[in-house]
Amino acid sequence: MKFTKINRNYYGYFFIAPFIIAFLVFGLYPLYNTLSLSLTDYTLMTRKGEYIGLQNFTVLFADQLFLKAIGNTWLIWLLNFIPQIGVALLLSAWFTNNRLKIKGVGIWRAIFYLPNLLIPVVIAALFNSFFSFYGPINQFMVRFGYQAEAVHYLQNVEITRAVVIFIQWWMWFGQTIIIVMAGMTSIPVHLYEAAMVDGASAAQMFRRITLPLLKPILIFIFVTSLVGGMQMFDIPYLLTDGRGAPSNSIMTNNILMYMKFASSRGHIGAASAVAVLTFIMTTICALGIFFVLRDKDDTVTNKPKRSWFKKSETK
Amino acid sequence: MRKSILSVLSLLMIASMLLAACGGGSPATEAPADSGGSSDSGGSSDSGGSSDSGEKQVLKVWSFTNEILTMAIAFEGQNPDVDVQFTMIPMDAGEYQTKIKAAIGTADVPDVVALEAAFVKEWVEADFLADLGDLLPLTEELQTYPSVVEVGTHEGVTKAYSYQATPGAFFYRRSIATECLGTDDPAEVQALVNDIESFLEVAETIKQCNPNYFTVGTSGELFNPFLANRAQPWIVDGALVIDPQVEAYIDFAKLMRDNGYESQANQWSEGWFAGMNDSLVGADGQPKKVFSYFLPTWGLPYVLIPNSGDTGGDWAMINGPLPYQWGGTWVGAMADSPNLDLAKEFVAFVALNEENLTNWATGVYTNEYLKAIDPTVADGQAQAAGDFVSSQVVVEKITSSFDGSELYEWLGGQNNYEAFGVAAPNVNGALLTGSDDAIQRALQSARDQYLNGEIDKATMWQQWLDVVRSEFPDLVIPEPPQ
Repeated sequence: MKFTKINRNYYGYFFIAPFIIAFLVFGLYPLYNTLSLSLTDYTLMTRKGEYIGLQNFTVLFADQLFLKAIGNTWLIWLLNFIPQIGVALLLSAWFTNNRLKIKGVGIWRAIFYLPNLLIPVVIAALFNSFFSFYGPINQFMVRFGYQAEAVHYLQNVEITRAVVIFIQWWMWFGQTIIIVMAGMTSIPVHLYEAAMVDGASAAQMFRRITLPLLKPILIFIFVTSLVGGMQMFDIPYLLTDGRGAPSNSIMTNNILMYMKFASSRGHIGAASAVAVLTFIMTTICALGIFFVLRDKDDTVTNKPKRSWFKKSETK
Repeated sequence: MRKSILSVLSLLMIASMLLAACGGGSPATEAPADSGGSSDSGGSSDSGGSSDSGEKQVLKVWSFTNEILTMAIAFEGQNPDVDVQFTMIPMDAGEYQTKIKAAIGTADVPDVVALEAAFVKEWVEADFLADLGDLLPLTEELQTYPSVVEVGTHEGVTKAYSYQATPGAFFYRRSIATECLGTDDPAEVQALVNDIESFLEVAETIKQCNPNYFTVGTSGELFNPFLANRAQPWIVDGALVIDPQVEAYIDFAKLMRDNGYESQANQWSEGWFAGMNDSLVGADGQPKKVFSYFLPTWGLPYVLIPNSGDTGGDWAMINGPLPYQWGGTWVGAMADSPNLDLAKEFVAFVALNEENLTNWATGVYTNEYLKAIDPTVADGQAQAAGDFVSSQVVVEKITSSFDGSELYEWLGGQNNYEAFGVAAPNVNGALLTGSDDAIQRALQSARDQYLNGEIDKATMWQQWLDVVRSEFPDLVIPEPPQ
């Protein structure tokens, strides 16, 4: 009997083997390779890399552009993520609200999700053309008297950043709504019914029932968005000159990494160093999110549980 | 036992799937661009006569456009025992360069690569291209323009040749010239814009003549001409050189912007193209016109004419205020190539063969011509007449054949070949370096901020130098100009 049990376990390994192999080949090995490359001065055009210790990193930390890229990445991510999660929570709360009973939720959700299906290249080209000197926005603003003459919108640091932030928000809030709504609809209805019987207001129910039970979903959204945000590349790369213009204001970590990689000699060592630092930064922040949003009730077991969930269960 | 065999088998299967997934890319991308006559089917796709189903010598050629495919087929026509496997990889975002870099040292390494002006110098300065010095005598025979050879040469070793020369020209609207300058005669207009100072005077005249006329689309078009007249390249002995021409250009661009001599439409933007066919409308609702465009040889058939709408015949070309060159495609052989002799032969055919260059420039390579050699050629594959070739001998022989051609009519009765032929020998090829692209793009970005009044001049220099320092940490950066 024992023998067959082992065999059964053995089959389990067998089934996860494809994933493990794919992970080792496409996940862990590239990570290891990036780490080791970041300690060399390897370039594509010389093909010989010498071990140079942490020199790539010291150069990076002395590089104003790198510090600026990190600042830009955080700024653009935070300013698009906060409205994104806010709007997603609000709309999802409305869409799933039993009292409001909004019609055509599926259609709205599809419309909100639609921008995500567009190709970033197309969106960036579209916005670039909208905001160009002879573009429709200038034509509108001047002809209706809001502006004396045409201006180069994408030469203005604030406007360019705002455009990137808007595009990122617009492309991704539909996705967030879908995930949040899935989380909200999985919350048992009887909790809300009980709260209503107790005379709780909509705001109270949102704060005391929806948010706590949505926490795992929120952690998931936070972390995936953080990972995506730290690797932001396509829209800022394509919107202006691919080098973070104007004044490097939309230069992100990944654009800088790509610039180092695509430079005339192909500095893979230096590009890997950017990737490694982005990786470390993202990992620390993701762990921080887990820590801050962890289920505190689980860790403190000797205290009586006081969540609404517990109360409603005991009722 | 059976289970372990099973597991080994399935592991093998997974491994082979992974390998297939990794390796699958290149044949798939090759297939559509392949010039036919692939090694697998025994010569069935070849020109009628040669029935030798024996081993054909395979030559792998990579390029970023389909132009060289035309010559590859012509090469097969002359060498029936050679099978040219042509691969096209776009270079919009540097995929092409990255792909060659990745192929070095592997079995996929191409024998011959096409190299664009923006990155040819990177490759000529590195060690991966074969020394093609043996072909130099051919350049003397054909009187290849010296700048073309110079670009393909690094420290006395010539590694790449080009079939094109790409001198720049100044294209202007005859109607606006007549209206504002009182003449549309090329020689007289050239006298008016013979240097930058008089060019600025003409710009003022045109503005006074009609406030809705701009002299150029953008002052960015003069970036290349100014840079072409520097005394030194960007990098000399590991240090960045800020030539007085660079400062002169920045001041010139600021003048053009502040005085409203340019339409402010960025190069390659919709507005810039709209200026070529009078469809440019300002934000104030007024139609605007652009007097002139700075474009090189290839700019005429590929940029200006396709976008000119019904303004054909109203254009003329002259040398303009500054001689310059812009772009071009070079061809080199990889040092790793197992067929180096054949690769050399191919490079010689493409860039240094009088018959091929003549056929190339005079429109002999029609689709029917190519189909006769290889019936599998795509329908659009052909080379129209008019590309400006690198051999002075060929240029002189064929110049008169363009009199009365379509291009001749489009230019209001001017022979473009003749005009380029005058400009070509003045080009300086020694100024290109492998790092130009990054340095220049960084400067353009800072320049645009300065021209738009977002930052002052000192900040502009600082911003540019900071980016250059970040991209080239080993480069010695001079103090910014005052």
